[in-house]
Amino acid sequence: MVTMTINGKLARAKEGEMLLAVLRREKIDIPALCHHEAVEPYGGCRLCMVEITKKEWAGGKNMVTSCLYPVEDGLIIQTHTTDLIELRKTILDLYLARCPNTPAIQDLAAQYGVTQTSYEPVTDPDDCILCGLCTRICDRMGFGAISAVNRGHSREIAPPMKNAPPDCVGCLACALNCPTNHIKYSDRGFTREIWGRKFDLVRDAKTGQPTITKEFADYLSKHSDIPRDYFELKDESHRRETALSLGKIAIWNREVPQ
Amino acid sequence: MKSRFIVTPSLCTGCRTCELACSFTHAQDGKIGRSRIYPLDGGFKDLYVPVVCLQCEDPACVKSCLVNAIHFNENTGAYEINPEICVGCMACVAACPFGCSLFDTQQNLVIKCDLCGGDPVCAHFCPSKALTYKPIAT
Repeated sequence: MVTMTINGKLARAKEGEMLLAVLRREKIDIPALCHHEAVEPYGGCRLCMVEITKKEWAGGKNMVTSCLYPVEDGLIIQTHTTDLIELRKTILDLYLARCPNTPAIQDLAAQYGVTQTSYEPVTDPDDCILCGLCTRICDRMGFGAISAVNRGHSREIAPPMKNAPPDCVGCLACALNCPTNHIKYSDRGFTREIWGRKFDLVRDAKTGQPTITKEFADYLSKHSDIPRDYFELKDESHRRETALSLGKIAIWNREVPQ
Repeated sequence: MKSRFIVTPSLCTGCRTCELACSFTHAQDGKIGRSRIYPLDGGFKDLYVPVVCLQCEDPACVKSCLVNAIHFNENTGAYEINPEICVGCMACVAACPFGCSLFDTQQNLVIKCDLCGGDPVCAHFCPSKALTYKPIAT
């Protein structure tokens, strides 16, 4: 256990935790776009910066990304000083120049009083802030179907050679966790389209409703050692089947004299 | 003392009180939540089966989770989904052979029965004792 001071209050944390986890637990509102508990911290969006100091630093201060900074005994943390708010304003100003039409960025910037970017907006804006959360989640799940390509202002997230990604299984984890909803997908009938690749969805054997993609079901049954026929039914049909089979057992138990 | 959630379908009257109790227990932001328990028709006359997570010994949901978001809670004996780690890929929803891992469209979260943290509310409300939470002899 380590003890720290956050905005003048004492807080306890476990050894090895990151500062952001402690701040979130103490219900302090710290904006963070690139953070997800499932993956390693990355420090991409720079919005979770906090000011740290210690008694023995003799007035020395440092600004760190709280998602990447492990807890230390005796840390004194300030989360909303004037400098930090100025810093977050500048970062959000830059984000607004890159993504002027993104609702998530607009809302966050408006909270910090930035409604109009003071920089020159990019000519062809999209919603991507290049935080890399999609690629990290894809890697974490073991697919690695997408990655960041090119450098500088032409950097973007794309599948290899910008073709349909061969390793993608269409699980939608990248699209659902994108902080700005940049990744577009479509579910029409029994086909799902994402990253320019089309997937067939598994049809429920009883009701014919779509479930997950065939590729994802194949991957899960192979990788996680689950029988492939578990994926043939939707959860609703599974429940009905469970009720029927458990009902048979109950009737059988009733007929057999105890 | 370890306890176990016991479902006895032959005692179930199909009154759906457990479903209501579950929905109200998991209510959030003034809206009732999605029930984790489903009292369904058992296929025979006057026979209903409350279908709920059975907290399997070798669960398919845990095996299918690629980000290790489902953990076993030693105190309650329940498998719990950590909503912060969950990425919403629906692998466990598709994998569970009993269909007891659900997707809540209202909160956009994958949910399952977590035994209410060691004191299942549905067991309190069941009028016919079809759902009980009893200590097991070890």
